[in-house]
Amino acid sequence: MRSKRRMLFPALTVLILVVIAAWMLVIGRGHEIYLDNKTLEGYQGQDYKAFERVVVTVKDKQVAKLGKRERGAAIWIGQDFKMTLEITEKKGDEPVVKEVSIKLPYDMDGIIINLPAYLAGLPEEAWLTEFVPAPEEPEEEELPGEGDVFGMEGDLGLEGELDAGDM
Amino acid sequence: MHQVGYAIGLRYWLNKMGYPRLIISGFLLLLLIMTPFVGVNLPMQITNIINRFSWNGVLVLAMVPMIHSGCGLNFGLPLGVLAGLLGGTLSIQFSFERFGAPVSFLMAVVIATPFALIFGGGYGWLLNKIKGGEMMIATYVGFSTISFMCMMWLLLPYTSPTMVWGLSGNGLRPTISLDGFYNQVLADFWKIDFEKIAGKLDVDLGPLEFIKIPTGSLLMFALLAFLMWAFLHTKTGTAMTAVGSNPTFARAAGIDVDRIRTLSVIMSTWLGAVGILIYQQGFGFLQLYNAPNNMTMPTVAAILIGGALVNKASIGNVIIGTILFQGMVTLTPTVMNSLIHTDMSEVIRSIVSNGMILYALTRKTEGSK
Amino acid sequence: MSGKNNASVGSRLLDLVRSNAVPIMFIIICAIFIPMSGLSNSYLINEIVTRMGRNLFLVLCLLFPIMAGMGLNFAMTLGAMGAELAIIFVADLQIWGIPGVVLAMILSIPFSAVLGWICGNILNMAKGREMITGYILNFFMGNGVYMMVVLYIMGSIIPIAHASIMLPRGYGIRNTVSLLHMRQCLDDLLAIRVKGVKIPVLTFILIGLLCLFIVWFRRTKLGQDMRAVGQDMEVARAAGIKVDRTRLISIIMSTVFAGFGMVIYLQNMGNLPTYTGHSQIGMFCIAALLIGGASVEKASIGNAFLGVILFHLMFIVAPGAGAYITEDTMVGEYFRVFLSYGVITVALIMYEAKKRMVKSKAGQELAEAQVRAGKEAAK
Repeated sequence: MRSKRRMLFPALTVLILVVIAAWMLVIGRGHEIYLDNKTLEGYQGQDYKAFERVVVTVKDKQVAKLGKRERGAAIWIGQDFKMTLEITEKKGDEPVVKEVSIKLPYDMDGIIINLPAYLAGLPEEAWLTEFVPAPEEPEEEELPGEGDVFGMEGDLGLEGELDAGDM
Repeated sequence: MHQVGYAIGLRYWLNKMGYPRLIISGFLLLLLIMTPFVGVNLPMQITNIINRFSWNGVLVLAMVPMIHSGCGLNFGLPLGVLAGLLGGTLSIQFSFERFGAPVSFLMAVVIATPFALIFGGGYGWLLNKIKGGEMMIATYVGFSTISFMCMMWLLLPYTSPTMVWGLSGNGLRPTISLDGFYNQVLADFWKIDFEKIAGKLDVDLGPLEFIKIPTGSLLMFALLAFLMWAFLHTKTGTAMTAVGSNPTFARAAGIDVDRIRTLSVIMSTWLGAVGILIYQQGFGFLQLYNAPNNMTMPTVAAILIGGALVNKASIGNVIIGTILFQGMVTLTPTVMNSLIHTDMSEVIRSIVSNGMILYALTRKTEGSK
Repeated sequence: MSGKNNASVGSRLLDLVRSNAVPIMFIIICAIFIPMSGLSNSYLINEIVTRMGRNLFLVLCLLFPIMAGMGLNFAMTLGAMGAELAIIFVADLQIWGIPGVVLAMILSIPFSAVLGWICGNILNMAKGREMITGYILNFFMGNGVYMMVVLYIMGSIIPIAHASIMLPRGYGIRNTVSLLHMRQCLDDLLAIRVKGVKIPVLTFILIGLLCLFIVWFRRTKLGQDMRAVGQDMEVARAAGIKVDRTRLISIIMSTVFAGFGMVIYLQNMGNLPTYTGHSQIGMFCIAALLIGGASVEKASIGNAFLGVILFHLMFIVAPGAGAYITEDTMVGEYFRVFLSYGVITVALIMYEAKKRMVKSKAGQELAEAQVRAGKEAAK
C-alpha cells in the first residue's frame, strides 16, 4: 500500500508537468504577423482595393499606421490573434473601428495578412500567406574548438574577457 | 566475441592497461592506420608528434615528483610555468641574446630557478598544511597566481621594445615572438633533417624527407628524465616514494614527511619552469596572461594516459603518455578533417583528457590519503 | 567587574570579526572602491537589484550539496547546460514569453536530472575528492559532451527547424541564440519601480519560494539525513541511512534547481551565449557564496544574499577603481578576477586546514587515552 502511494506521487508530478508543458506549447507559440494594406488584384476576377489609411492596435498598443501599399508588423503569442483596426476607406471618410479576431495556423512563424482581402470576407487562402525570411548572408563565426592550430586553447574556461555584463 | 578477444590477447592487454588507455591506444592506432587512406602525409604527422613530444615532455615529467610524494596530480603546475615565464621575460629584458641564443636560454633557466624555488617552497609549505585536499587547492592557487601575475605583466616595469605594447609603452604583450632570442635553440642542436640529408647525398627519399628530428630537445628531455630516474633511486628518492605510498609508515621509519613533500613540490615547480622554457623554444612564442592555464589539463591528462595513478607514476608513464596524448592531439584534427570535413578534434581532446582525469580520480587507490 | 565585562564584549566582537572576516574584508573593499569608481548610487542600486534577481537562484542551488557534506558543487554547471539545451529547443519551437520560460524550466528537468544523476554517481565513486572531481566533470561535460551535442549533433541528428539559430553550414547551433521574445518577461511581469529602481518582484518571489523550500527541506526526514551524512558518513551509515542515495539526491536537486536558475538568468540576459554561457557560472556563484561568509561545510541563505550583493558590487566597481588607481582598466578587470579566485582559494585552504587540525586533535586525544590506558594496565 505504501509503495503504491510512493509510486503514485512521482507519477502524478510527471503527469502534471507534462500537461503543463503541453499547455505551454499551445498557448506560448509566438508569431510574427505582417499586416499588408495592399490591393489584392484579380482574385477570382475581382480586385480588393487598399484602404486609404488603417491604424492597427494590438493589446492597447498602436503598432502601425498604414497608408496604401504599406506593411506593418506585430508580434503575438498564442493562436487567437486579436487586433483593433481603425479604417479610413477613402479620403475624407469617417474612420470605422473594427475588432478583428483571427485564428493563426500553429506551424507558421511569420504570417502575412492582407487586410483588404480579409475584411472583404474572402476565404483564408486569399489573405493569408507565409512570410519566408530572405536567406541571410552566411557570416563566418568563430567557433569554439575550430581553427585552433595548437589544440591547447580554452581548456579552462578562464578567458581574458570577463565582462561584467555577462554576469 | 570472447573467443576473438582471447585470440588477440585482449584480456591480457586489458588487465595490463585498463579500459581508457586501451581505448586511446586503439584510437590512435586506428588514426595511424587511416592516415594513408585519407591522404594525410604520415611522415609529416610523425614529425609533428615528435616535435610536440619534445615540447611537452619535460612539463609532463614535472608531474612525477609530486605524484611520488603523494601530493596528487599537480594542478598547481601554473606556478612553475609562471616562474619559467618570469625567467624568459627577464632574459629578454636584459638582452642576453647579445651573447648568443644558447646563453639567452641558459640565462632564462638560471633566472627562473630562484623564482621556482621560492614559489615551490611556499607552495610546498602550503600543501603541507592541507594534506588530503591538495588537488582542489592547487587548482585555485594556480588560478589566483595567474590572475595576480596578469596584473603584474601590466604593472611591472619591463621596457624591452619587443615585449611591451608599442602604443602605450607599458604592459607586456600577450604573445611575444622568440625570434632572435632563444627560438629553436635546443631543437636546432644536432637536428636531423632528412630533407637536407637527402640533398647532401643527392638521393630522393620521397615522403621521408618531411621527417625532422629536434635532437637537442629530445636529449634535454632524456637528460632530465634520466636525472629524475636516478634521483628516485637515491636514498631521498626512495624516501619520497615511501612518503607517497604510506606516509604513516614513512613517519615511523623516521623520514621527515613534510620536508620530503616540500622537496618534491620544489622539484615539480622547477621542472615546470624549465618545461615551459623548453616548450617555448620549440613553439617559438612566449605566451603570457591566461595562457599558463592551458598547460595544466593536457599535462595532467598525458601522464594519466601513460598509466600513472593519482599516487604512482614512472618515467615510462611520462614517455608513453606524452606520445599517446600528443599523437592524439596531432592526428585527430588532420584525419578527422580529411575524413568528414569537420574538425571535432577539440571536443574529442576535451572528452579524452578530462575523461582520463575523471577515471583516475574515481578509482580507488590504496594509501592515497 | 566592568573591566571583565569589557573584555568579554571585546573578545566577542573579535570573535564576530574573525568568523566573518571575508564579508567584512569585502565590505571594506567595496567601501573604498565605490567612490573611486565614480559610479552613481542609483546606478549601483539598480545594477545590484538586477543582478540579485539574475543570480540568487543559482547561488542558492549550492546549498544542497554543502548540506550533504559534498563541498562546493563545482558541477552545478551541469544544470546550466541542461537549461541551455532546454532553451535551445524552446527557441526552436518558437515558444515565447512566460510560457517559453515555464516550458524551458520543465524541459530542463529531464536534462538536468540525468546529468545530475551521472554527476552524483561519479562523485560517490570519488568520496573525499568531490570538489576536484566535480570540477573536472564540469569540463568533461561542458567542453566535451555538451559541445559535441550542440555543435555537431544538433541539426544533423537532432532536428532543428529554424535556420536562424543554426550555423550557416547546416548543423550546429550559432554562437548566440537570441531570446528576444523571452527577454526579461519574468522580471517585467510584476515589476514595480521605486525611485527609478526596477524591482523584478516575480523573480524575487521565485527566489523566496526556493528559500522557503530550503528551510522546509532541512526539517524533512531527507533533509535531516542529508545533514547527518554531511556530519559523518560512517555514523550515518551505521544509523541506517542510505548514504550514497542521499548524496545522489542532493546533487540531483542541486543540478535541477541550477537548471531553473539558469533559465531565470538567461531570460534576464535576453540571449544565450551557446558555448560560453555556463563556463563561468559555477565559479562566480561559488565565489559569491564564499564572499557572503559561507565555508565549504556550512552555508546559509543569508550567506547567499550577502554574497551576491558584495560580490557583484565588487565586480561592478573594480574596473573603475582599477582605472582610477593605475590608469589602466585592464588592471581592474584582472584585479576582480584575482579577488574571486583568491577568496575561493582562501576558503578552501581554511576548510582543509581546519579539517586537518580537528583530525590531528582527535588523533592526539586517542593517543593520550591509549597511553593512559597503558599506564593503568601497568599499575
